[in-house]
Amino acid sequence: MEKVVDLTPVERPKKSTPWTAVSAKTKLTLIVASLIPGIVFLYFLIAADMDFMAGLILVFLPLQLVSSSLAGILILGRRGILDGMMITTTLFLGSFVFVLLMSVMWAVIERGFATLSPQFIYQNDVYVTPTTGLEIGGVGHAVLGTLLVVGLSTIVTVPLALATAVYLTETRGKSRGLIRTLLQAMSGLPSVVSGLFIYSMLIISGITSYAGWVGSLALIPLMLPTVSRVAEEALRLVPAELRNGALGLGASAWSAFSMVTLPAAKSGLVTAVLLGVARIVGETAPLLLTTSLANKTNLNILEGGISTLPTYLYGYVSLGYDTSIQRAWGAALVLLILVGILFIAARVASSPKSAKKRK
Amino acid sequence: MSELIEVVPPKRKLKVKASSTSDRVFYGISTAAAYSTIFLVVAILFFLSVRAWPTFERFGVINFVFGSGWDNTLENPSFAIGPMLYGSFLIAGIGVLFAVPMAISIAYFIEFMAAKPIAKATAFLVDLLAAIPSVVIGIWGLTIFSSVGAHWGEMLHNALGFLPMFENDAGNFLRTPFIAGIIVSVMIVPIIASITREIFSQIDKDLISASLALGGNRESTFRKVILPTASGGIIGGVLLALGRALGETVAIFFVLNLVFNEVNWFRIVLPEGGAIASLILAKFADATADEISALLAAGVVLFVFTLIINSIASYIVVKAQPWRK
Repeated sequence: MEKVVDLTPVERPKKSTPWTAVSAKTKLTLIVASLIPGIVFLYFLIAADMDFMAGLILVFLPLQLVSSSLAGILILGRRGILDGMMITTTLFLGSFVFVLLMSVMWAVIERGFATLSPQFIYQNDVYVTPTTGLEIGGVGHAVLGTLLVVGLSTIVTVPLALATAVYLTETRGKSRGLIRTLLQAMSGLPSVVSGLFIYSMLIISGITSYAGWVGSLALIPLMLPTVSRVAEEALRLVPAELRNGALGLGASAWSAFSMVTLPAAKSGLVTAVLLGVARIVGETAPLLLTTSLANKTNLNILEGGISTLPTYLYGYVSLGYDTSIQRAWGAALVLLILVGILFIAARVASSPKSAKKRK
Repeated sequence: MSELIEVVPPKRKLKVKASSTSDRVFYGISTAAAYSTIFLVVAILFFLSVRAWPTFERFGVINFVFGSGWDNTLENPSFAIGPMLYGSFLIAGIGVLFAVPMAISIAYFIEFMAAKPIAKATAFLVDLLAAIPSVVIGIWGLTIFSSVGAHWGEMLHNALGFLPMFENDAGNFLRTPFIAGIIVSVMIVPIIASITREIFSQIDKDLISASLALGGNRESTFRKVILPTASGGIIGGVLLALGRALGETVAIFFVLNLVFNEVNWFRIVLPEGGAIASLILAKFADATADEISALLAAGVVLFVFTLIINSIASYIVVKAQPWRK
């Protein structure tokens, strides 16, 4: 007898990954296990008037640990006990980071926006005393000062750092290991020591007095390692075949670099520069040691006091009056917005999506 | 034997040296830039040491580093940074103690627990925390966190005051090493978290699957497979963060009461503490010439310590990733 092959199609499973389905019992257990400790904790907070932090650690965490290990037993059997505890601990500690971040961001945004107004952005502080109201004066001069000081260090540092990254990746120089070690060492340089270095080199020696360009110099050792390390990574990501192909076709090292490697690594290099700028734009200590505060706009970076956003913030915090601290919050918000713009720009530049779009 | 005869004369000589002018300029510029790095580091060490030398000569290195007292009003001013140096390490230690569990948790959450979009968003938030300038965290610590932290310190004192660690006879819980330590931990969490995440993401997925196939659960996989594989990288990350914590200046200066005369060994909720970087900032504004030299010497000591810690850290991080060339 001939066997007939059954050609009726098998019904396909509705879900492509049936093993991820969660049964109703499991769902219910999870919901109950995560609700009960919260409710008990709330009861302690409201009825027993317990301190939030003490309650969180003494009541909520142990209860949640017990309830999630019970849920673990119900769902997975005995080996679920430690799993439940571990998930609880991870989420608990992880959410702490989130809470801290939100607390910082919320404080800056709330208090900063209370200070922020159009004239706060563009006016300077010529007629401002520590107790002057917020209707006059602002961070205009500090924003300009930051742009000048950070701009000058960027102009000096970026070519230097990129050329160093090129030396580390494109040449077969003998001292690559040494340079890499030194960059590593420099990236650990405390910012205040960088300020002391420039101070002892230029200001104690009497070569110059406090000025914007001295501050820019103090930022260079902080920016250089960041930019060259990220740039080195970016250049390293360019496949060796591309380079060898260009060289095999007879290109000189320079044209292979400028026409093949550089375009391929462009977005990575832009990211390197942006990260470097973001690294130094909020640096306070080196600028405190090398520039002096001014309350009027100073566009001359070569001499005279110049305010930058971090030193402005520092100065007004140290004055300690309510209104001066208000001003400092405003400056913090402006600084955070600047850093945020740089941060997002670096993200956009380094994301593979935008690189594809450009093609 | 006769000499080898070149049958086809080569058009280009095969040598490593650059042949065209543009190449020579290209190599020249990059080499010059790289060597300027050496120059910069040598200059930093040279100028700091030259200015700091009188202090080291006068007080002796050991006395200056481990002695205590900082007074420029005396006939014979005395400068020593023992309490500051120890205080730096105490604060950094508290910071690391708080930061490590949080950082490992969030790295584990991102790599092994969360769904992809949530993991991406969390990683973004952690990077965002890393981007916040330390002076902004400083003003947050001063105006918002200090009172909260003082309250926590007071609770610790009330509950566990019989332990010498939580002694406090000042009746005031503001400006303590405890608060400064937590502020520092906010700054170093993203550093440790990103390095840990990097290491976690490079762990061979087959190892984890093997552990699960052998009947391991989430917890035993973490304890017996993930953690041992990643421990080197985590320790390296912690040391890098420690270096950063030691060099933290402004934020600590805002929230810590500096005491120069005696070392606060372990009483973390007492408003007495020290930090070298903050010392430099605190004493710089109205320093005498002798004092400037002493501050520079303090800077040298700080640099040496961070240099040692960073070198160990980067060595460990590289060793921990043998798969990376």
